[in-house]
Amino acid sequence: MKFRKHQEDGKVEMQMAAMIDIVFQLLIFFMLTLKIVSPEGDFNINMPLGAVAPSNDTPPPLDLKVKLEANPDGSLKQLYFGEIALGNAVPDAFDRLNGKVGGWVGSQDGFSDDLEVELITDYNLHYRHIIKAISACRGRMTADGKQVTYIEKIKFAPIKKPAA
Amino acid sequence: MKFKHAKPTIVEADMTPMIDMTFQLIAFFMIVTNFDQTQADERVKLPSDQLARPPLVAREDELVINVGYKRNLAGESIAGPFVFYTGEDVPVLEFGPRFQREFLLVEKVEGKAKAQEMTVVIRSDGDVPTGLIQELIKMGQEAQFVKFALKAKAATEGEEE
Repeated sequence: MKFRKHQEDGKVEMQMAAMIDIVFQLLIFFMLTLKIVSPEGDFNINMPLGAVAPSNDTPPPLDLKVKLEANPDGSLKQLYFGEIALGNAVPDAFDRLNGKVGGWVGSQDGFSDDLEVELITDYNLHYRHIIKAISACRGRMTADGKQVTYIEKIKFAPIKKPAA
Repeated sequence: MKFKHAKPTIVEADMTPMIDMTFQLIAFFMIVTNFDQTQADERVKLPSDQLARPPLVAREDELVINVGYKRNLAGESIAGPFVFYTGEDVPVLEFGPRFQREFLLVEKVEGKAKAQEMTVVIRSDGDVPTGLIQELIKMGQEAQFVKFALKAKAATEGEEE
């Protein structure tokens, strides 16, 4: 009987070229689509379609009024909590507002869910001040990074058109 | 004289470390790529605030409106404010019909209830007059949108503008 010569063990080589091509294409795709952006958050405001007339059974919501006056260049002229002027220094005025709202909410004996803030602003006031005012009314951050919520319901007063 | 005939040898580079590195780079870019904020426009300089935190549960449907200025290389505004909408720069007060078109489109595809559940997310530059944002919200209300949210950049203490 004739035996074949014992063949040497051949090294099986994988074809890597195709995989490397795809891997590089993926790498280039992810490098080009990378956009480094800081995380964003948002403040909800509920603006229903029409004001619903309150029924006789339900008490009207307790509205807090926060007024922001603007200089002609759009900077903050004066911040008011009700009738109390809180100044125009940023962020000190908003810190004072935060303290006032916190004090008001604390005095409501757990009925702060009914509270609503109405923001009355001048037309040309810069948007960044509104964000600060909403934030001051919404709550504060504790030292350990937790959020304490004061008021959830925030709305805008009707638009005040500038005089022509 | 006797010459030795050397067999030609194939020099093969070891590809393993390169492939390892490349896979690590891909994994890195996959992790840091954020596909959530594809609707965000880089021209908008958002104000920052400590309380602005990303929502714990992502919204199902939202309509993102970017409001900002055209700026020069020095960052000074040269025109605007505009709503940056699908490649167009629309003056804010002329955005009403587009709001209505968006609402009608969602209403047709998913029904009125779903369209009203949609949140209009306003990403506005910090320098835009608040009155224009209110006008934008009013136009949204006229188009029957109910839910609105104002975006701000999340900031840590001392980092705020």
